[in-house]
Amino acid sequence: MLKRDEWLDLARKLDWELSYVSEKDAFPEVQSGRPWLPHAEWAGWDEPFRTSYPEYVAGQHAKEASVAAVREAVGRVEDYQRLPQGWLEGLKLHAATLPLAEFAAVVGNLRAARFGRDSAWRSAALLGALDEMRHTQIPLLLMHDLVRWDPQFDWTHKLFHTNNWVAIAARHLADEMLLASDAIEFAIATNFVFETGFTNVQFVGLSALAHGVGDKMFEKMVGSIQSDEARHAQIGAPVLATVVKHDRRYAQYLLDKWFWRSWLLFAVVTGFSMDYLTPVEHRQSSFKEFMHEWVLDQFLRSLDEFGLERPWYWDIFLEGLDNYHHMVYASAYSYRASVWFNFVVPGPKERAWLGEKYPASWPDFDPIWQRITDRWRAADPGNDFAVHGTAIVTFCDLCQLVLSNGTPRANAANVVDHGGQRYIFCSRPCRWIFEQEPDRYAGHKDIVKRVLAGEAPGNLVALVQRYFGLDYETWGKDAFRGEYPWLDRRPA
Amino acid sequence: MIPLYGFLEGDTIGLLVLADGDDSIAEIARKLQEAARLRAAIEGPVTVLYDGQTLDPLTTVSDAGMQPLARFDVRRGPPA
Repeated sequence: MLKRDEWLDLARKLDWELSYVSEKDAFPEVQSGRPWLPHAEWAGWDEPFRTSYPEYVAGQHAKEASVAAVREAVGRVEDYQRLPQGWLEGLKLHAATLPLAEFAAVVGNLRAARFGRDSAWRSAALLGALDEMRHTQIPLLLMHDLVRWDPQFDWTHKLFHTNNWVAIAARHLADEMLLASDAIEFAIATNFVFETGFTNVQFVGLSALAHGVGDKMFEKMVGSIQSDEARHAQIGAPVLATVVKHDRRYAQYLLDKWFWRSWLLFAVVTGFSMDYLTPVEHRQSSFKEFMHEWVLDQFLRSLDEFGLERPWYWDIFLEGLDNYHHMVYASAYSYRASVWFNFVVPGPKERAWLGEKYPASWPDFDPIWQRITDRWRAADPGNDFAVHGTAIVTFCDLCQLVLSNGTPRANAANVVDHGGQRYIFCSRPCRWIFEQEPDRYAGHKDIVKRVLAGEAPGNLVALVQRYFGLDYETWGKDAFRGEYPWLDRRPA
Repeated sequence: MIPLYGFLEGDTIGLLVLADGDDSIAEIARKLQEAARLRAAIEGPVTVLYDGQTLDPLTTVSDAGMQPLARFDVRRGPPA
């Protein structure tokens, strides 16, 4: 009987010379990506897992059984009801942004499974597509039972089907990265930057946080997903290596573009959870510390390995580590009815912790939370609209997120005229990405432009209800109705 | 109606300010401060900046040449 290594490549690395069609017709650049190279340049492609299909099925079966066992033990509504309120809000945020983005990643992986330039790449991408199907199904299954308890969990499935501003931003990213990318851009953007750089390690950090707060089900879910991500993320590096060899400039461009785009969404989703929604006694590190320890060190080492430069905006990014998620959280808190999860006001203990973790920037944010606290002190508990913004907020024409980059002292938004239209960007990197491929982005309307065109209501309540898809039951509120033990409403 | 992007010093987000052409610069600064006051406020005099220039608070939006979707900033302190 043949040993594994003797038969394995017959199953996963099986390319042959085409005779009925040309290689360029079978793997057109529009689907396979650029630089277009003959297969000989890709023939050495390999990744470390080298998983066969029977091994994949056996491994996934065991993982599924393990998730099912934990669900059986601690996946009931009453198990969730015991978790800290803030953590549950972070759960709603993560649960909604994850599954349908993963479903879009099925498409991206399947494109690579057909148009990737080497059979081993295509085999690994096919398993990646099956992984992503699983990552779609697990959160949908786990959160489904919670809908009867809390209808905000319905947004696990609903978010991407709405015109909610977070959905518009998430779709703008996911459509380009996962659905529209050719196989090479998908491998570098998704497998290398997003998965290797961000989500793979994010899941490790989130799993540890979940363990700390006692959310065994979430811990199991992200741990299980992470073990798949760790495998299919390996597709990225060998693709990048070949692109660097033949077109270093393009490789650098893709890295610069996708690191920035990934960072913005990552900062909102994970930054909120780590620095605001997880109870302070369960936090293990700040979001900034986590980024330095788990993301930056590894990313910079990877750049060195490939002989690539740090992105040109590195100083802007580092400033963002101190500011961006704080800017967006304060903004989103004051427009919380526009999203499907609830928010927590940082109290004295939390503000002291944030001040210690962010000594350079927190002095600019602390007065904002003092104003919000003072407003709650003067308002009745549960009267959310007494502590809520009323003006229409503004959005970036590239990332579609709010114009909250820079610092409270100097917002980084900048305006550009292109093709007779005016565009505004939250940051110089978003503007730069737009200017590299304006035809790709120019036709997309942000929410302000939809309002001005009469496609969306200009009144905030109507916008929230009729366009963002929320109602009183589901729109975001203060998680504690403004009733905090540290907030004294007694008259002086 | 001229839609403008307003940024108040100390705030965390840009806000849409709907101005009339004959609104004074002081008036659009007031509208922005009102819209942002949940999060930030400037006590005392302010300066309005547009296109790198300090605007006279008494001039109008039209006379200042502010186009739809232009950015203006309201900053702490009197005009220099």
